[in-house]
Amino acid sequence: MNEADILRGLRKKIFLTACAGGGGHLASSFSSLEILYTLYARKTMNFRCNEPLWADRDRLILSKGHAALACYTVLSHVGFFGEDVLSGYAKPHSVLGGEPSGESIPGIETPTGSLGHGLSFGVGTALASKMSHADFETFVLLGDGECEEGSVWEAVIAASALKLGRLIAIVDVNGLQKMATVSEIAGISSWEDKWRSFGWDVVSVDGHDLEALTQILSHRRSHEDKPLAIVAKTVKGKGVSIMENNPVWHYRMPGKKELKTFMAELDISQEEVDHAKSIYQCAE
Amino acid sequence: MQRAYINALNKLAQEDDRVVSVLADNGTDYDWLFQRDFPERFFNVGIAEQNMVAMGAGLSTCGYIPFVLTAGSFLAYRAYEFIRDDVCFPCRNVKLVASGGGMSISNLGSTHHATEDLANLRALPNLTILSPASPAEVEAAVAEAYKIEGPVYIRMGMNGEKDFFPASRSGYPYQAQQIADGTDAAIITTGSIAEQALAAAQKLTTLGISTAVYVFSSIKPFDSETVLKLAAKVRLLATVEEHSITGGLGSAVAEVLCELPEHAVLCRIGLAGVFSQGYGTLKQMYRMNGLDAEAIADRVLKTWRKLS
Repeated sequence: MNEADILRGLRKKIFLTACAGGGGHLASSFSSLEILYTLYARKTMNFRCNEPLWADRDRLILSKGHAALACYTVLSHVGFFGEDVLSGYAKPHSVLGGEPSGESIPGIETPTGSLGHGLSFGVGTALASKMSHADFETFVLLGDGECEEGSVWEAVIAASALKLGRLIAIVDVNGLQKMATVSEIAGISSWEDKWRSFGWDVVSVDGHDLEALTQILSHRRSHEDKPLAIVAKTVKGKGVSIMENNPVWHYRMPGKKELKTFMAELDISQEEVDHAKSIYQCAE
Repeated sequence: MQRAYINALNKLAQEDDRVVSVLADNGTDYDWLFQRDFPERFFNVGIAEQNMVAMGAGLSTCGYIPFVLTAGSFLAYRAYEFIRDDVCFPCRNVKLVASGGGMSISNLGSTHHATEDLANLRALPNLTILSPASPAEVEAAVAEAYKIEGPVYIRMGMNGEKDFFPASRSGYPYQAQQIADGTDAAIITTGSIAEQALAAAQKLTTLGISTAVYVFSSIKPFDSETVLKLAAKVRLLATVEEHSITGGLGSAVAEVLCELPEHAVLCRIGLAGVFSQGYGTLKQMYRMNGLDAEAIADRVLKTWRKLS
């Protein structure tokens, strides 16, 4: 199977998992999928599925916790946990919540969901790696809307001042937040200039281009002094035409008519949809 | 208390290279001693309390033991959600140290006073809350916080407090300590205001109301047993705290008493539905806010008279 098919299969799985769990942030998950896929499936991060807390693992902090479904699906895809765990998403007694609640999920470093926490946490782990001369890097995935939280910029300042070269912030710039576009709400124009002006190295990338992402994310930064911001231009809702770039899909499942588009574009059968829905309806 | 804190922290750092000091540009007068001895483990991360707390969480997951410190008001209020989500919820080994607890940053006014910190933090699962009343107890609190594998909040004063009662000899005093005898009434207090409570009790005793004083240096866990014993022994219990009477020590005592069919009358002395008033020295703040020994004795006396 080529990677385009794999990614379509992962989007399909994200959608069906959301159906079985009663909903999820599909659009954010679709926007972040290639980034997470590159980190894990293309192994630009060092990790051990069977030893999630391996001390020298690279850390991925999912600061935009609402991309949880994408993260869970990729973690399951590479072997952190099985399909049985994934299919329990958002059910009573499952470890997988609509937002990731923390260390009980293999591969998840810290509870997120409230925005603007992850980069500071990553400053802590990156500082630890610097102090202890450990050979791991810290990747923090943020949303562009999330960057409206002031605490993000507290962390941006600290990372630069502490010369945390092994800290990499990936900003998933899909241009949308819950209620409108980011530029309408925050008037933010150039992410690159903003991060650069705080003393970070900055690169821009097409956040759905696996080759470009791989080239940037596989570069080890062990001897750098400046933290790196990767401005990843993405499409919120990527992969389903009616979702793309439309803020209404921030947290929404398709209605009957819309479902046909999802099924056609993600190669989903009626049986698969029915099965997922029955899991949700059966849950007590 | 600040000097005691740094002395204790330096001792720990000497013994364990995982101990790090993290400040949000609002340290004690003695942080330079830590910085001098352990420059590679000293971080002032700027005026950014939320970042400081979540950074501490990140450090703790890599095996470090961060003591993050700033003024109690900035720590317990501004960084509250970070304390909740990044430290308490995942039960991380982060030590949250409030300098200037209560009204001890007296002349800067209410924005700098931590007089509701016990109320909001007491609601957080997994958090141990220590409220030392003297420099000796601050030292013990630092050692105790280090022993606990999990989040700890230490609430310190910063007004040159003295060791005005004998220090516990058996580790950190989770059990309330009796610092004055009495049979009619008992004052339950915490933190450096205990000195005012002691003076108030002495005055009450000379007026014929034999008043005991108990210092509760741990707010969570809370020594309910001593409260229960006292509630059965004396007719009047008074709580004295440099804090709102809502949610802090007074509430903790009330929560214990409310489960009893019969108990002593409780009089909660603290900030009653108001922010701290005025500016000045801590002593002046106590006077203006009805929390000096005179005012405490007066409140207890008035309540006592209603009982008789």
